Amino acid sequence: MSTETRTETDSAKPQQKAASKPAAKRKPAAAKPRAVKSAAVKKAPSKARARKDEVAARCEVLIIGAGFAGLGAAIRLRQQGIEDVVILERAGDVGGTWRDNTYPGAACDIPSNLYSFSFAQNPEWSRSFSGGPEILKYVHYLTDTYHLRPLIRFHENVASLSYDQAQGLWRAVTGDKVFEGRSVIMAQGPLSNASLPDMPGIDTYQGHKIHSAMWDHDYDFTGKRVAVIGTGASGIQIIPELVKKAGFVKVFQRTPGWVLPRPDFQTPDWNRGLFRRFPASQDAMRKALFMFHESMALGIIWNSPLTRLIERIGKAHLRFQVKDKWLRRQLTPDFRIGCKRVLMSSDYYPALQKENCKLITWPIARLSEKGIRTVEGIEHQFDCIVFATGFDVSHSGTPFPVSGIDGRQLNEEWSRGAQAYKSINVSGYPNLFMTFGPNSGPGHNSALVYMESQIDYAVRGIRALRDGNLKALNVKPDAQAAHNEAIQKRLAKTNWNSGCKSWYLTEDGFNATMYPGFATQFARQMADLDLDDYELIIAN
Amino acid sequence: MASIDLDKMLLKIKSTQWSLSDIDWDAPGADMITEEQWPKLKEFMADLMWIEHVGARAFAAMSKKAPTDTLKEIYSYFHAEEQRHANAEMALMKRWGMLDGDEIPEPNINLRLVIEWLDRYADEMPLYVLGTVVPMLEIALDGALCKFLLDTVDDPVCHQAFEKINDDESRHLGVGFSVMEMQGHGATYIKTVKMLAPLLDPRLLLGIASYFPLLNKMRDNIVELGLPEEKLYAAMEKFEKIGGRTADGRSNPWFQIIRQHAKFVVNRSNRIYHVPVDAMVKLTGYIPKRALPAVPSWVKELTYRPSA
Ligand SMILES: Cc1cc2nc3c(=O)[nH]c(=O)nc-3n(C[C@H](O)[C@H](O)[C@H](O)COP(=O)(O)OP(=O)(O)OC[C@H]3O[C@@H](n4cnc5c(N)ncnc54)[C@H](O)[C@@H]3O)c2cc1C
Ligand SMILES: [Fe+2]
Ligand SMILES: [Fe+2]
Repeated sequence: MSTETRTETDSAKPQQKAASKPAAKRKPAAAKPRAVKSAAVKKAPSKARARKDEVAARCEVLIIGAGFAGLGAAIRLRQQGIEDVVILERAGDVGGTWRDNTYPGAACDIPSNLYSFSFAQNPEWSRSFSGGPEILKYVHYLTDTYHLRPLIRFHENVASLSYDQAQGLWRAVTGDKVFEGRSVIMAQGPLSNASLPDMPGIDTYQGHKIHSAMWDHDYDFTGKRVAVIGTGASGIQIIPELVKKAGFVKVFQRTPGWVLPRPDFQTPDWNRGLFRRFPASQDAMRKALFMFHESMALGIIWNSPLTRLIERIGKAHLRFQVKDKWLRRQLTPDFRIGCKRVLMSSDYYPALQKENCKLITWPIARLSEKGIRTVEGIEHQFDCIVFATGFDVSHSGTPFPVSGIDGRQLNEEWSRGAQAYKSINVSGYPNLFMTFGPNSGPGHNSALVYMESQIDYAVRGIRALRDGNLKALNVKPDAQAAHNEAIQKRLAKTNWNSGCKSWYLTEDGFNATMYPGFATQFARQMADLDLDDYELIIAN
Repeated sequence: MASIDLDKMLLKIKSTQWSLSDIDWDAPGADMITEEQWPKLKEFMADLMWIEHVGARAFAAMSKKAPTDTLKEIYSYFHAEEQRHANAEMALMKRWGMLDGDEIPEPNINLRLVIEWLDRYADEMPLYVLGTVVPMLEIALDGALCKFLLDTVDDPVCHQAFEKINDDESRHLGVGFSVMEMQGHGATYIKTVKMLAPLLDPRLLLGIASYFPLLNKMRDNIVELGLPEEKLYAAMEKFEKIGGRTADGRSNPWFQIIRQHAKFVVNRSNRIYHVPVDAMVKLTGYIPKRALPAVPSWVKELTYRPSA
């Protein structure tokens, strides 16, 4: 089985899986990918065979997921003249992360000018760090401007993917349909599966339960006693908002993270005007922000003098915002910065100190009918518990069964840690391109910067297929092995592998998540397609 | 090897949690406290509660120091469990009408000094210092005092609570002694010297200056309660017996120090030790309250209410 870890509180294994809310609502089947998973392992091939004539669509490129990655890939493919594209999306709309994470306070923690595509910049960002709704608006803007909607098949939850070697076609099976494509871009998102954690007693709790990635907008928090479990990236954004509304908020923290101030401000009108009139000025801004984040990498990825400096900034921020010595102690991280995702917030610490808020660091013993029992023997009672417990991240499994040449199973090959060539291709799975595959994670920079490099690589591969009249591009096993050896060697020197436990690592401390280097280096790695590393199969 | 499997211990700890609401604090039996017992018991309970709190703060420091994630987590549980003991003891006091409204009872001055020291320096002390002093405090004060209580009080709710508390304590001691052995393991001359180096640290000397009088003060309190002090000594000797049962345990230099010190405490005729320490107890009794800094904010976390 896949090793699943949770981000944020990494507290427990997922209990009940629920896909994005819209999907879950309309298609109950989509709510239990795990059940689908195991059933699909056995049934998918026969199903596909039985319905050979029922192929819903056959295309040149199949894209799974209509988040930033899937949509961005479609845009770039079309710009290269590749028009025969189908996007399969399990939910009812585009947006991915930003469609699902609509909790109060949701925002990016990378400046908006960098958290957007370089090929489709937005001069209108209203804030330095835009909120979720504005980011979602940008996704819709991309979808409409590039006329992507007609390509998307909504409510199609891919349950399995298999390669037909004879025909050189990938076959994606959704609930009741089959889609075929010469190539596939897997863009199902690194953090798209959320579930309530498997805490003892979670089913006995009678109050209201909300997961941060499946927000319940109908619930009125006014005057309510609320618990927030988890103090990761989502938790620290939700808490300041809830404190404004709820009667009382208790925050349950397991491990404190590093929090750096987030200089959020409204973009002045002249600035927007400038960007609109002189796009070059926005380019320059983007480059400056990019370089700033690149230099942060020096401190966050490797243990360098800059690491100490950034830690000192974090500590100064804490000292400045929190006067009570004990509370400060509770909030002081005891791991090196960069070991886990660095949190960005200027209003989290102040929110914790409001009259109607309290930080609880006692371990949770269990959930009870009325609330949460902690180890100091007290039952904390609530009207509502908010789970900001993160996502199910698979280090070794695949989001759904993927079978390649001769029926080989990707999750079996990955059972001891995922491996790929340049994060994007896997030997034995021709023409399959992954976004956010193994060792592609940005620890310190915009995910979209990394994503662009991946998308452009995939587009180059797909162009090569077309230009060379090829049936398949299959990465050579030794090229893949050489790549991974180099990656793991470089990872060993990073902060992530410095003995800290985080969702970046597998149970045995193997790092299949992060890219050990600057975004610039990653971009260089992805810049050219070296056909010598591939086995080329000519179409007949 | 007498050492225990810490991973298994952590699972055990997690699966045996209890809450204040597991006990019916209004069940009959509260009237079994005699009128004569009441005032002394009130003082005794207040001290006991604060000793739990001393243990709690020490575990909090140890959790930051622990060399492995498992031990870190175990100590963070122990920290919370000591708080639970203090909360439960406060609930008993409430039951017996010993609390004035929501007031948290005052600790005696010697406890107050130890708390002050812990809050200031414990986070900076190496694990092997705290890791030896804490089992001693637990076995001598926590353990012995609980035993006295059960011998003198008939209230069934008290017995019910202490059955749970003692179960926790047996695990604290199990881990405590095991860690002492781990740290005595492979003791070389150099390692021993290194482990003793903190003795020269003035911060530790301050700690010792508050720890010594605390033991004598508690002895005095026990005697005042009309209990034989020998029981306290018997508990302290248990520390020597269990801590010294393996070669590893014996070669932990801090075990040797604490053990030796316990011998001084137990031997009342050792005037070189007791005359100055008793004088300190007396002296500290004169420290005016306002000379002490405000109590740290974690002290305010105590509550007798099972739910919040
Ligand atoms: C709350 C939050 C805040 C974040 N903030 C930042 C930030 O500030 N900066 C940053 O760089 N990164 C941030 N990230 C990371 C973020 O995940 C990426 O930046 C980016 O949005 C990923 O886009 P994606 O298209 O790869 O995945 P997603 O946006 O997750 O899109 C994947 C899509 O695939 C669909 N899908 C999944 N499985 C299937 C299936 N089996 N069949 C069909 N469709 C499927 C999903 O429904 C979804 O629409 C944040 C993430 C979260 C959760
Ligand atoms: Fe205790
Ligand atoms: Fe204890």
